[in-house]
Amino acid sequence: MTNHLETSEMLLNMGPQHPSTHGVLRLVLKLDGERVKAVECVIGYLHRGVEKIGENRTYMQFAPYVDRMDYISAVSNGLGYCLAVEQLIGAEAPPRAQIVRVLFAELNRIASHLLWLGTSALDLGAMTALFYTMREREEVLKIFENYCGARLTTHAFRIGGLQYELHDTFEAETRAFSEMFKKRLDEYEKLLTKNPIWVERLKGVGILTAEECKSYAVSGPMLRAAGVNWDLRKAQPYSGYEQFDFEIPVLHGADSYDRYRIRIEEMRQSLRIIDQALERIPSGAIMAKVPKVLKPAPGEVYVSIEAPKGELGYYIVSDGSLHPYRLRVRPPSFVNLASLEKMAVGALVADVVAIIGTIDIVLGEVDR
Amino acid sequence: MLETLKRVFLLDLLDGLWVTFKTQRTSNISTEQYPKDRPKVGERYRGAPRLNINPDNGETLCIGCDLCAKACPENLIVVGTERNKETRRLDLTYFTYDLSRCMFCGLCEDACPVDALELTQDFEMASYTREGLIWDRQMLEEGPRPTRYTR
Amino acid sequence: MSQDAKPAPVMATEAWEDGLSDLLHSTFNTADTTAILKRETFRGQAFATTAADAFHPVIAWLRDTQNFDYLVDLTAVDHPSDPLCFELVAILYSFASNRRIRIKTFFDAESKPASLTNLYEAANWLEREVFDMFGIQFEGHPNLKRILMPDDWQGHPLLKERSIVDMDQDWVQKHLGIESGQ
Ligand code: SF4
Ligand code: SF4
Repeated sequence: MTNHLETSEMLLNMGPQHPSTHGVLRLVLKLDGERVKAVECVIGYLHRGVEKIGENRTYMQFAPYVDRMDYISAVSNGLGYCLAVEQLIGAEAPPRAQIVRVLFAELNRIASHLLWLGTSALDLGAMTALFYTMREREEVLKIFENYCGARLTTHAFRIGGLQYELHDTFEAETRAFSEMFKKRLDEYEKLLTKNPIWVERLKGVGILTAEECKSYAVSGPMLRAAGVNWDLRKAQPYSGYEQFDFEIPVLHGADSYDRYRIRIEEMRQSLRIIDQALERIPSGAIMAKVPKVLKPAPGEVYVSIEAPKGELGYYIVSDGSLHPYRLRVRPPSFVNLASLEKMAVGALVADVVAIIGTIDIVLGEVDR
Repeated sequence: MLETLKRVFLLDLLDGLWVTFKTQRTSNISTEQYPKDRPKVGERYRGAPRLNINPDNGETLCIGCDLCAKACPENLIVVGTERNKETRRLDLTYFTYDLSRCMFCGLCEDACPVDALELTQDFEMASYTREGLIWDRQMLEEGPRPTRYTR
Repeated sequence: MSQDAKPAPVMATEAWEDGLSDLLHSTFNTADTTAILKRETFRGQAFATTAADAFHPVIAWLRDTQNFDYLVDLTAVDHPSDPLCFELVAILYSFASNRRIRIKTFFDAESKPASLTNLYEAANWLEREVFDMFGIQFEGHPNLKRILMPDDWQGHPLLKERSIVDMDQDWVQKHLGIESGQ
């Protein structure tokens, strides 16, 4: 007697209201048992037409909108936008503003990685990490709040420099945070790095080799976990990053576990930058001479920065009027997410959760 | 060898559990008890808008220049003015501010030449209706009066 | 539109002169064909404008012989007042030489540029987004459909003819049950 169990392919809809897709990402999984045979990402649920809005706002007015793309790292978005417009009009922020920008961008990198760490760990069942990372993230957000008055959508920088002078307690707060956070990072590592469940869930899952990374134009920690030593802060320094002594962590596993370790190490390096920057904030002006009404000469620039999630670029075309003629955002999350359709094939459904987690997407930026 | 033993006895797992255990003291609680204890927000917090009045004579500081309305990316401020025949200045007739579309970016505040418009530290702006979020001049000058619920 | 009266603004560019620029010229421009129309820099950023049908070959050549193995971005710009109304912009990066260049091309509304998906996997989603936002069809794309907007959405939002308040109201009314998305 031959008794074969009937098997057939199954279509599974994951999301858009699924807790582990980090927002409104919908995946249509074609399953053979527990194995994924094909994935299709359905995105756009959070599409607000940021690029169209950009064409209808003046250069200054658009700045608050970029905070709302990757709302986890609003400061980095703002930095990229300000640098792009500054390059378009040929201005440069004064040295003091540049260092302060670096400080906040690195604090933001930590905040972004912390949220990533907490939520991805939560996805894989490690509840505790979330509470700790949120506790520390709160400290960063408090610094933001004291500096510019907002915690998430900060709108901290302006074209040409800064709007706000550093608040009096900034140095003390940041130093205290840096001291405290060094120890906390070790605690996270104790919680996770060698935790057998964590390792089993991530090791060898979601492999994307260096070649594939380049072809998919993947950037950020994912690329560095695949052994490519490339970080825009080193490769094409901006805003004075060349003055700082820090390292780019590179690993060769190309899997989810190495992405996790890269991000942990990046937070350490960010702390190094913060410590150095605190030592050398120059005095002086915080705002360059920028006309009140911005009317850049016709032209186009593409400027990109290393955001926590990868290369964030702005391509701005000006036709000499008050509004950008075309404003394109190159979102790291969107481009990185495209590689999911490759990584998830052959994985288990539970691995898909881990893979989405370690790509580190923010749907606000994917959909814009 | 050592690695295997560590795995068998779940040492790495216990290491992590120890971290959790260390934070069990009640002095480590960081939860805020809002609304019982109201959080203290930053000095520069960008919250509910206020139209400042001159404390000496109770007149508004606003000179009706319309700069805030022009600066706002969402075009949500409407300033109504009237030319005063005697003083030849602009008198403010009405001022509306649509909170439901405001993103608290602070551009209007930065644009105001006389610091009349200000985003304050008040953060309780909820309303049961959309209309309730459109603040007029009186509301902007006096500030919101949220109902305080007590037990 | 009010801009129509004025002549199209031109950017004050400088000539792009270095080894790569010369190589592009000598490889693609012969006595009877000009595939590379312009080689310019603006604010220190180099870009070349190619003829419409040379867009794909030039990028393939850059990838295969010049190590431009990273397609940073692919996007489009709409110039409705121009007969060649679409501008396609590819931003390429080379890890080996740590430099970024832009390759651009202009074509009319009927043309279908060749898809870059056979060169870069990243082009898949980027081209879908360009199609979604501008309605540009790519020849040879494996799965050219809308990516950000709903499948039954009418019109392409980033075209200049679409004002920001004039989007697909019918879709909004039908699916969301509200008068307008604004
Ligand atoms: S805070 Fe920003 S959005 Fe709100 S009224 Fe002021 S300028 Fe407009
Ligand atoms: S900018 Fe200030 S003074 Fe001018 S209208 Fe607005 S609130 Fe009044």
